[in-house]
Amino acid sequence: MTNVATNPPSRKPKKLRIRSWVQGFFLILVLAISLKKYLTELGINLSFLPDASLHAICPFGGVVSLYQFFTVGTFVQKIHDSAFVLMLAAFALALLVGPAICGWVCPFGTVQELIGTLGRKLHGKHYNNFIPSKVDKVLRYLRYVVLATVVYQTAVTGKLIFQGVDPYYALFNLWSGELAPAALILLGIIAVTSLFVERPWCKYACPYGAVLGLTNFIRIFKIRRNEQTCIQCGACNRACPMNITVSDTKTVNNHQCISCLKCTSEQNCPIAKTVELQVWRGEKS
Amino acid sequence: MKLRSFTLGIVILVVIFGSVFLADALGYWNTENLAQPVKFESGEYAGEFNPADIRGSYSFGDIENTFHIDASILAQAFEVAESQANAFQVKSLETIYESLAASGVEIGTNSVKYFVSLYTGLPFESTETIYLPTPAVEILIAKGKVSTEAAASLQEITVDIADFTNTSSNVTGAIPKGTETTTGFVIKGSTTFREILDTGISQKEIESVTGKALPNPLIVIKTYCTERQLDFETVKISLQALVDSK
Repeated sequence: MTNVATNPPSRKPKKLRIRSWVQGFFLILVLAISLKKYLTELGINLSFLPDASLHAICPFGGVVSLYQFFTVGTFVQKIHDSAFVLMLAAFALALLVGPAICGWVCPFGTVQELIGTLGRKLHGKHYNNFIPSKVDKVLRYLRYVVLATVVYQTAVTGKLIFQGVDPYYALFNLWSGELAPAALILLGIIAVTSLFVERPWCKYACPYGAVLGLTNFIRIFKIRRNEQTCIQCGACNRACPMNITVSDTKTVNNHQCISCLKCTSEQNCPIAKTVELQVWRGEKS
Repeated sequence: MKLRSFTLGIVILVVIFGSVFLADALGYWNTENLAQPVKFESGEYAGEFNPADIRGSYSFGDIENTFHIDASILAQAFEVAESQANAFQVKSLETIYESLAASGVEIGTNSVKYFVSLYTGLPFESTETIYLPTPAVEILIAKGKVSTEAAASLQEITVDIADFTNTSSNVTGAIPKGTETTTGFVIKGSTTFREILDTGISQKEIESVTGKALPNPLIVIKTYCTERQLDFETVKISLQALVDSK
């Protein structure tokens, strides 16, 4: 089934730089947009950036507006056309390559990763392995409960009720007077938890991650492992921020995959052309 | 077919920014609420913006964009500093002229609707008396926007604000966008039926005010009234009375 472990690594893995650049770009972009109004008041002109609230550039706003859009023909308060456009772009991207928005674009995911860098230094190989697998397995479905609750409540009230607890919104509004205490507390919890668990919000609570995660079952490009060349070293498993056991599967269909490509031969898999992002041909995992 | 990380990075950027540019080119990239009133759907004025749907949150600049009346003219008409004309929100007039309310005179959003109607010749009807400040009437006459007879009848609703010296100081302290004027629940142009239900008002009570079956509660009351040719101000006052009685 698999090659023996005596098969030596054919090349050293490369660092995946492009993802960091893309993540950094979107983090700075979102930060600049959210700071624009505040900076303008201080006399710093960022006129090249759009006058947009965080809601206007959040694709999840489009998701929670779907019910109202199709029943009444309007958006939920504070949501605009732009959120719908980004929602459609994110869906198109997810159908093609999975939740790349989570792994490459979402600034809140990036911030959790940055905190996780410190956590990794503090805890070494124990980092991201603190939660017992039985508990972890159940908790992974919590984000669907959050998703259902948020979508239902928004549909009933016509308001962005999630804003009151959204740590992403709180993070990028720390300098404004619009902070909801619950969101601030949750942000603090996520920040601290990120020192022990990689991307805790994404794994257990993000409702948008839950939506995009479902595309992992039908996406066109999937992470595929070549059983013939795999040496079962487990490097892919250790590299995965979402704790997916890549080495047990031929094709990764896990709903938590964020398409970060950390498991691939380009980065952490030591064998060339063994774990790659390829067109899915319908193989079972 | 395989995708390497560099290609994936490019694909992500192309899909996201490509969508934004495409949406922008097609006119769908709006990051703010469009401050545009509804348009008349039929009749002589079909396709024109309806002054009745001017909202308190609109600025003089928004009115300039939709009704093509210079913001500076609106500022002159309502005694607002010209330097603030573009961003001045219509609902701020109610704060500036707050002291007039004690004598039963209100200069606010309705006054702007009426002025716009007279200035553009677009129809606007209201069941209540609407007042205009003296400069507004003078502008209408000077620019020949009203007939001599109409000008004479306007005198009855003209409010002389020459002695009203509180204006300029109140302009700067006008209501910031998105804030409430009182601590209680106030029905605004963006209020939905759901928000009324949430205050404890029953469906039957709302239906007794509108005279129609309650629509989808997520519908904005003002939009509903405009579409069904109900006078929003009348509905608003009745609903506000119900809310206040709770």
